[in-house]
This record gives sequence, structure tokens and C-alpha cells, in this order.
Amino acid sequence: MSTRWYPIYQRGNPQLRVFLPNFWMKLVHPPPKQLPNTVHFHCSMEMTKYDIRNYLEKIYNVPVIDVRTKIILGKFRKDLGKGYVVKDDDIKYAYVTLPKDTKFVFPDIFEKSKDADEEHLKSLEEAKKTFKNYIHRNKSRPDVPSWFSI
Amino acid sequence: MNFVFRNGVLKYVAANYFRSQCTATKLNAPSNRIVHTSSTSYDLMEFFDDKKNWNETNIKVGRAWKLDELRIKSNTDLHKLWYVLLKERNMLYTMEHECKEKVRLFPNPERIDKVQESMKNIETVVRERNIAYYQLETGETGERPVEEVVNLFGLPEKYEKSEYMVPKFMNTKWVKPYLEHGLINSIAVKKFYRLYKEKLHNESRKARNRDYNHVQQLLKRFPDMDLEKLREQYPNVDIEKAMRTKKARGHYFPKY
Repeated sequence: MSTRWYPIYQRGNPQLRVFLPNFWMKLVHPPPKQLPNTVHFHCSMEMTKYDIRNYLEKIYNVPVIDVRTKIILGKFRKDLGKGYVVKDDDIKYAYVTLPKDTKFVFPDIFEKSKDADEEHLKSLEEAKKTFKNYIHRNKSRPDVPSWFSI
Repeated sequence: MNFVFRNGVLKYVAANYFRSQCTATKLNAPSNRIVHTSSTSYDLMEFFDDKKNWNETNIKVGRAWKLDELRIKSNTDLHKLWYVLLKERNMLYTMEHECKEKVRLFPNPERIDKVQESMKNIETVVRERNIAYYQLETGETGERPVEEVVNLFGLPEKYEKSEYMVPKFMNTKWVKPYLEHGLINSIAVKKFYRLYKEKLHNESRKARNRDYNHVQQLLKRFPDMDLEKLREQYPNVDIEKAMRTKKARGHYFPKY
């Protein structure tokens, strides 16, 4: 009777309750052409369509009209350095349809992020400066390793 | 489980506790208690972090919940906290995935570990309580029963029992192949088991010889060694015998 162990459901038994569900779901970016009331998820492999519906309705309070799922096989690829074959994890996709009038737009999270180039330049300047310092400090002792003095 | 949360239903009730960056806020301490009286938006936007954290490169959070802190909480509190953490974890997974898609660095990935640790600790505490309850009521732990069985390779294995729709003897699909290939009756299994035992025996024999030789070399190099210590460290080696061998005699005139 542990937290993760439930009795087999047989007809007539009381409904099984999940008290501490361990399922995860992540909302992922939809492809460009997508109806506004459809949301794409990745979810735990063990989740059924009913689980997904209950999860969203009970925990997130999101009304769900329809759920479709599919499992995509992880890719087989060769490891870049070693050359052995690696298999990526399989992913369970869930396509959830919300009511007709609702509209979900995936937010643009990095929309107004700080200018990345500027930051890179800044760190580059910093690195240049420290390197200059290091060269200057070791002018008279060229063979001394960098860890020797502070 | 059913008894611990007898009144629990799968319904998220902890909405007005706290949201993001909550891993270490204490529920009971009144000064730290954060109670949002306004209605929390149940929304798909809960899968995303707070808007102000979207472009941050460093998001500071507290530590994970410790076992001792969770032990003094009531079942209801734990139940609520579980859902808070579950949502937090989903949020972090979503953000991490989005960062990966957009080839950005995910700020403070250790947040995921902290949430996972907290969830693991909650499960541990619930389990402890469950065991205590079952032992009081039934005298058993209520844990999943474990049985020693002989597996397909003829080796002993610990099998965690689970429920089946069909009793064992009626389950022809399981019984037939098990009797044909699984038990030690099968020639293949017997052969495997013989070779396996040989391998184990060789390993132990080599270990014994290795120790014996090593002790001899030690005695050669350090003739005045503390024999008690040596005996303690190598209990399987006959030290007296090792001392008498040729290998243990050093390049010095023997003391007779």
C-alpha cells in the first residue's frame, strides 16, 4: 500500500483515487499553423487520455474538450565523440482541445530580452582586460604557469 | 494510503498558498505565511514562470524542504504542498524545454533538483505515516510484499508481488513457458548455473590467493610487522603458514 501502488480496478469497486500524482506535463511550443484552441503538451509516458483530462481539469482548472495522444520514438544517433549508438528518450505528445471560444497563444518568453550581443561584448572586454593584466604581470617571468601567483 | 488521506480528493486546494520560488517558505510560521486572498488564476499560464522572471539570467530561490520540516506538518498540509510542488515542477520543465528550443541558457537549473528533492521527502514522510498506521491497526507494515523466487536464469531474485486478474495456476500463458524454460529443470539453465557458479568460485579463489601472496610479500618487506593487525585485515589468510614460506623470507640472514 505504498504511495505509488494502487489495487487493480475491478468492476463494482470504489473509484480509484490518486492522492499524490507523480505525473508531469510540459506545455510546448506549437507548430506555426495551429488552431487557437489547441494546446500541445509533452507528458509522462504512463498518462492515459483520461489522466490528462483529469490532470488539467482538476489541478489546473482548465476545461478540456478532447485529448489526443501519440508516442514518438526517440531518435537513434551516433554519439559525437565516441561513435556508439545512443537512443533518445521516447516522448508522449498530448494534443488538448479547449472549448471553441477559448484562445491560447504561446507567450514569447524571450521577446524583450536584453541585447545579447552587447552582453557578449561586455564579457569579451572583461576577458581581454584580465588577459592583458596577466601578460603584464608575467612579463619578467614568461614560463611561470597561471596558477602560480594570484 | 487510502487511510492516510481519508478525506482527500483529487482536487487542487492549495491555490492560495504560494506560487513560484516557494520551495523553502514555511507554512506554519505565521510571519512567513503568504496568503493570497485574491483569487488565483487557474490557467494554462501557470505552466510558465512569472512574467518578471522571463528574461532573468539569475533567479534566486530558497532551499528544498527538509524531512524534519515535513514531519511536523499535517496530512492536509502535505497534500497541498504536493500540488504546489507539482505545479512548480511542471512550470520548470516547461521553461527548461522552451529555453532549449530557443537555444538559451535555462537560469538556475538546480531549482528542478530542489523541487524533486522536496517531493521525494514528502513521499518519504507519507510512507512513514502509512507504515506507522498499518502497524498500529494490522501489525504489518502495509508495504508491498516481497518474495524470494528463482528467476528465468535459475538465480534467486526478490520479486515484488503485485495483483493479478487471474490466479497463478490458471494463468497458462505464464505457467507454460516458466515450467519449460524457467525452472532449473531446463538444460540451458542448468548449464548457465554451473558456469555461473564456476565463475563465482574462481573469483573467490583468486581473491584468496591474491591475499595470501600479498601477505607473504608484506611479511618479506616488513618482518617486524604487527601480526595482530595483519590478522585483523586479512582474516582468511593463515599467517603462520605464510611466515614459513620461501616467498616471505627476505634477503637477510634468517633468525633461527
